[in-house]
Amino acid sequence: MATRNKDIQQKTEELITVEESKAPAQQPLAIPTDNPVAYPLELPQGEARLRTPAVGQRARRPDGRLHGLGQTQYIDDITFPHMLHAKILRSKYPHARIVSIDTSEAEKMPGVMATLTGAEIPENSFGPTYQDQPVLAYPIARHCGDGVAAVAATSEQLATEALEKIKVEYEPLPAVFDPLEALEKDSPKVHGGDTNIYTSKVIKKGDVEKALKESEHVFHRQFRTQMVEHVPLEPHASIASWDGNGRVTLWTSLGRITLGREDLSRTLKMPQSKIRLIGTVVGGNFGGKNEITTEPVLALLSKKSRRPVKLVFTRGDEFISSTIRHPFVMDYTTGVNNDGKILARKIRLVLDGGSYCSWTGTTIGKGSILAPGPYDIENVLVEAFAVYTNKTTTGAMRGFGAPQVCFAYESQMDDIAHKLGLDPLEIRLRNGFSENSLSPTSQTLQSVALKESLAQAAERFGWKENQA
Amino acid sequence: MRTLDYIAPESAAAAVALLAEHGEKACPLAGGTDLVVDLKHSPGNIHVLVDVSGLEEFRGIEETDEGLRIGSMVTYAEIMENSICLEKVPEVVAASHTVGAVQTRNLGTIGGNLVTCVPSADSAPALMVLDAEVTVTGADGERRMPIEEFFVGPRKTILEPHELLVDILIPKKNLGKPSSFYKFGLRKGQALALVNVAAALELKSGKIHEPRIALGAVAPTPIRILEAEALLAGKKPSIKNIEEAARIAVTESKPIDDFRASASYRRQLIQTLTQRVLSRSLEIATAS
Amino acid sequence: MLVELKVNGEPKSADVPPETTLLKMLREYLNLTGAKLGCDVGDCGTCTVIVNGVSVNSCLMLAARANGHEVTTIEGLANSNELHPLQEKFEEHGALQCGFCGPGMLISAKNLLDKNPDPTVFEVRDALSGNLCRCTGYTKIIEAVIDAGRVMNTEQANS
Repeated sequence: MATRNKDIQQKTEELITVEESKAPAQQPLAIPTDNPVAYPLELPQGEARLRTPAVGQRARRPDGRLHGLGQTQYIDDITFPHMLHAKILRSKYPHARIVSIDTSEAEKMPGVMATLTGAEIPENSFGPTYQDQPVLAYPIARHCGDGVAAVAATSEQLATEALEKIKVEYEPLPAVFDPLEALEKDSPKVHGGDTNIYTSKVIKKGDVEKALKESEHVFHRQFRTQMVEHVPLEPHASIASWDGNGRVTLWTSLGRITLGREDLSRTLKMPQSKIRLIGTVVGGNFGGKNEITTEPVLALLSKKSRRPVKLVFTRGDEFISSTIRHPFVMDYTTGVNNDGKILARKIRLVLDGGSYCSWTGTTIGKGSILAPGPYDIENVLVEAFAVYTNKTTTGAMRGFGAPQVCFAYESQMDDIAHKLGLDPLEIRLRNGFSENSLSPTSQTLQSVALKESLAQAAERFGWKENQA
Repeated sequence: MRTLDYIAPESAAAAVALLAEHGEKACPLAGGTDLVVDLKHSPGNIHVLVDVSGLEEFRGIEETDEGLRIGSMVTYAEIMENSICLEKVPEVVAASHTVGAVQTRNLGTIGGNLVTCVPSADSAPALMVLDAEVTVTGADGERRMPIEEFFVGPRKTILEPHELLVDILIPKKNLGKPSSFYKFGLRKGQALALVNVAAALELKSGKIHEPRIALGAVAPTPIRILEAEALLAGKKPSIKNIEEAARIAVTESKPIDDFRASASYRRQLIQTLTQRVLSRSLEIATAS
Repeated sequence: MLVELKVNGEPKSADVPPETTLLKMLREYLNLTGAKLGCDVGDCGTCTVIVNGVSVNSCLMLAARANGHEVTTIEGLANSNELHPLQEKFEEHGALQCGFCGPGMLISAKNLLDKNPDPTVFEVRDALSGNLCRCTGYTKIIEAVIDAGRVMNTEQANS
């Protein structure tokens, strides 16, 4: 026993007498042979780490062993004693004022332990860029996936039945679904005010109007992409639980847990030191699990009921309530010469920004910068707008705006090649980035292998032979 | 899932009695690949499930004097592995293979497919072109009918609430009849048919004998194209009359626009696929 | 109602509401959380288990219907000494990423190899067509299944 007071230490050490252990010599542990869930206990081999250099060696994924055994614990695999199940009632209308919510019938049902509505959320707004999204919609619901009330009950089935007993009085409001319509002056305004545009970006390089006038051909086309849902195989799932110290713990499929904790601190009006967020292995994210969904709801239901509360999205919830990829409406005007050299590109991007901002800021930024394509173009104008619509919130999804614009600029390259009678590969080689090319934002690009890659790929799949 | 009662009766008679007793509140459970999904997602009146999937009277595949009898509770997987079916009704096997995926086929039954009676039921066209007959049992006893009479409308058969499908019989003369089935879906597996089509015919002295053409997913129920069959009967096969038969199939069909495909695309499919199954049947007929 | 069955060779039972699916019984009453809930309508295959020798979507099968039957789940593939060749090969080939499709995929693959130890690539694709994967693109999964089949063939030949 160590202490600063040497006298006390000496005295204590004198008092302690160590006796020889009389226990029998260590026996090896006998593993029962009738263990119903058996698996080998030797650790997976990590040979690569033993070798120097490890680069180039075959490595095993550290999670492979548990995945293969089915032992990986996803949130839905976790249960706690007395755990309740929550369900969320979603808005009946794509745009409506909530006049009243009556949860009394639901509360009377045996087994229903707590209900929650938007009015009860301490700070009912969150979001990675703008905090324009409510935890539970109140007083306005802005899309059919917007939650308006929640229940926690002793079983999922009971919770589902309890939702049917919640009476919500809505005053339907005019709604807007098409992003171009949302741009118009007299369109319904999803978040009030006099415009649905909530973020925009402009990238300007050179003089696009002048260069278009000087081009031998000008191509114009409008391209549209559709919504895409991530469909992670594991639905969103969370569990909330409070302890006697007034601290809430959440186990969640959320990817960005530090951001999530900030959001919880904000919405629950609690210091971060009282909030613990545990993210575990996730069954697929792809961008859709980058922000909180029901965590504050579960925290409050758990607080009210004094029991752990779990919610797992149904597959239907995944489609209407979790975030999706932004549909883009893209107008491309491109000026080229007879030899296929692009002189100017003017682009208007309209992002269908859904009902709330989510990760649109990143999407519009990335989409705008990549919109002209990997081509040397001296005169560029990109004007991008994200508009609110009364549809599912559009958020982060692998690519973040890149796939949409790629569809547009590559389709147009083919159009141009076809019209001018040029080889589609040739026109790309003629315009493509090289070492030290400037990006649309005038960044000098290095380690550019675009043309070499195209040429190699073309050779490998016999492009020239096919064209003949 | 809402609260349900589950009963596994020991005999077909007991099952019929239970269904008669509970009326609209009960329904028979076969493989459950459609029914269980419905029960989970649609509100409804069903509170009692009567499990008929294991009843002996509805099981088994055997060749009798009358033809090939397939019990209604035989699964698609069992049909695919059965040597008699592979030899005598290969296109019914082919149709079974296009349903869902391995797991669906291990649970799903051919009888369940017919009783659920969606327009795109995959087993129906293949059975219809072989002049299949179905046997039904209920509180009023047993009756048999041509399979076309079994289908009334989307998700509606002639079954009364207390009645059950017993088996399907393919007449002896049609066993081994040259036949072809084709299903077109948006994917090769786990997909509903946009159009499914089957044909069967024989060649006698170089002329088409007893042609049959059936289409699914293009009308409220699977349908036979009688006018096209009449066109081909007794004629020498030619590209011209195959194309004409397919054209008739297009005009006799009523495909719809939905999120999977437009009606006009479906009409193109009907034209091409009807020609394909007719050609294939002729190939088999010529070779044999 | 009381449902009694054998899971991975062990007798198990639970008193469950009649409408309980086999999946729910395995996960919530028997604590065998290997089989997953991905869609609940028999499309994604994450709930796949083997009942009486055939692979089924346990989210579509009522537990009551499994009464008296034998069920194999992912938890039953390995034993105290070694992994199943499929588990070994999936690990070696890096076939799984997030792992959520893993239990269902492995069970479907086992069902295939038990019946057809030397499948063609087409047969593997057909056998796995009821198991969706959102992460991998399936290539390594198929390679692992074929490789495992070879191992199992050799083991059988040697035994």
